[in-house]
Amino acid sequence: MSEQDATTADMGPDPLIDADQRPTALLQVRDVTKVYGTGHTAVTALQTATMSVEQGEFVALVGPSGSGKTTLISIIGGLLAPTTGSVHIGDIDVTALSRKELTRFRAERVGFVFQSANLVPFLTARENLLYVAGLIGSSKSGARARADQLLEELGLADRAKNLPEQLSGGERQRVAIGRALMNDPDLVLVDEPTAALDTALGRQVVQLLGREVKDRGKTGIMVTHDLRMVEYTDRVFQILDGHLTHVESSTGAGH
Amino acid sequence: MQLALTEMRRAKLRFGLLTGAVSLLVFLVLLLTTLSGALVGALTGALEGLRTDGLAYSQTARDNISASRLPADTVDAVAAVSGVSAAAGIATLTTGAAVAGESLDVQVFGVALDGPGAPSGLQNGRLPTTDGEAAVDGSVSLGDVITLDPSGVQLTVVGLLRGAQFNAIPTAYTTLGTYDAIVRASFDNLPFVPINAVAFTVADDASISDVVAAIERAVPGVSAYSLADAVALIPGIESISQSFGILVGLTFIIGIVVIGFFFLILTVQKLKAFTLLRAIGTSSGRLALSVSLQIAIVVLLASVIAVALTFLAVQSLNTGLPVNLNVATIITTVLAVLVFSLLSGLLSVRRIVRLDPATAVGAR
Repeated sequence: MSEQDATTADMGPDPLIDADQRPTALLQVRDVTKVYGTGHTAVTALQTATMSVEQGEFVALVGPSGSGKTTLISIIGGLLAPTTGSVHIGDIDVTALSRKELTRFRAERVGFVFQSANLVPFLTARENLLYVAGLIGSSKSGARARADQLLEELGLADRAKNLPEQLSGGERQRVAIGRALMNDPDLVLVDEPTAALDTALGRQVVQLLGREVKDRGKTGIMVTHDLRMVEYTDRVFQILDGHLTHVESSTGAGH
Repeated sequence: MQLALTEMRRAKLRFGLLTGAVSLLVFLVLLLTTLSGALVGALTGALEGLRTDGLAYSQTARDNISASRLPADTVDAVAAVSGVSAAAGIATLTTGAAVAGESLDVQVFGVALDGPGAPSGLQNGRLPTTDGEAAVDGSVSLGDVITLDPSGVQLTVVGLLRGAQFNAIPTAYTTLGTYDAIVRASFDNLPFVPINAVAFTVADDASISDVVAAIERAVPGVSAYSLADAVALIPGIESISQSFGILVGLTFIIGIVVIGFFFLILTVQKLKAFTLLRAIGTSSGRLALSVSLQIAIVVLLASVIAVALTFLAVQSLNTGLPVNLNVATIITTVLAVLVFSLLSGLLSVRRIVRLDPATAVGAR
């Protein structure tokens, strides 16, 4: 049995595939705690964090370095298991998935935009998009059309055949946004998207990201330490020393 | 799969250099295997190629045909043993010789050319049918005349043999009558010319081990061997074969380990990309398969180059040995390199499987 078959069998009525039939995607993080290490060396990175984000919302997660925001986004994205607590995305309890199921979950339900090492270096911009479509067995012609459409929308049509090393920092982040949206995920997780960009380009990328997330009815969470970027989000959560708090509702989201 | 192939296409220089390095390692293993096989063959070829099931030596010879001396009537005694279908004498000596002004050493075999003990490996011409003719494995041509020293006996080359050398010197197979003449030219008052061995074939309904035991029981002063045992017991062959085995084996192991390290280095260089791929939903199995496919492609391409290099080397090396490219050896070596390279690639696969995708976002 293939990994995909095994996953489908384990998860019952294949909740990962029937995207069109799912109820409204809603992220619910309940009492999530993450402790690294044991005994005297134990460090609590996240303390009973609870949050929920509606479908179509683009929220910011802010906080200083080492506050736990990357840990939280990793747990939400199925990259890291919490010590206690649960994360639900739609009807899926992410924290109950096996390692194999998490791999498939990430491919189908989550789009990632990382801070660095964001693209596969030996694939062109277009191939980076097509690769993730291949992971979930999308039809080749459909995937090609969608990749071309996304690149066009992101202003990268003429850069489709370029390798990441031939792209500017902003272009690379835009390709990563395209890749994150390629498999039509419920959730888009963005980690410090402006870290390697100047302010103007950073604003442009975050604005584009917010617009794409909202226009497509996705749920977006952006980790940032740059408070100037929160104006493009709907709400702001803050983490300080592992404690998560909801700070305010932002204005002007997606603009 | 596409990922592995695309990467190789985009990194031609890196994979080209890797393929070149692996091909040199495979070439080294192939050449050593071929040369050691050739050397052992040159030492044993004469006995190995005899058309016989077994050989009988004098007991005092200690498994050495050159040290064995038997009276000619031993042939009849062996032939009379139950289970022996035919028997014939083999006589041999090493002598100096000259061909077209060139001096050489030659191992002369006097054999019954129509009975047990006739040579195999005829490449050109025919086996001798009358006294004064010889079939030769050495640097001679058909029609050449070999003058033996000091007997002055002349042998006309009527057949060319391959893989029939003895102790890595050329051999000349002639009639027992000619052999008698060579010996008597130097010792004309001998009452009889001894033979060195009796070659015998075994009847269809008899087993070689039973016949060997029966000969030793029935013929006093004789030790009998199956042909394979006689070859394996040639003095020094076992230690020579073992030494070459160790040499080839070590080269093989070092080559495999180096190939494994090559791919491990490549993998470590790409850990960031692999981590990213794991994070965005690529299974570790898919990545492991991708690396394995690259190993297989590199090793197979390298093997093709290595076989070509070995072929060129064999053509251009003048070792005086009957060096042959053995297809079975090549296939076995290449398959072994492929299988063990994939196993050594497990070092890389292990590294990939242990990757933590969370490191893509620096969560640890």
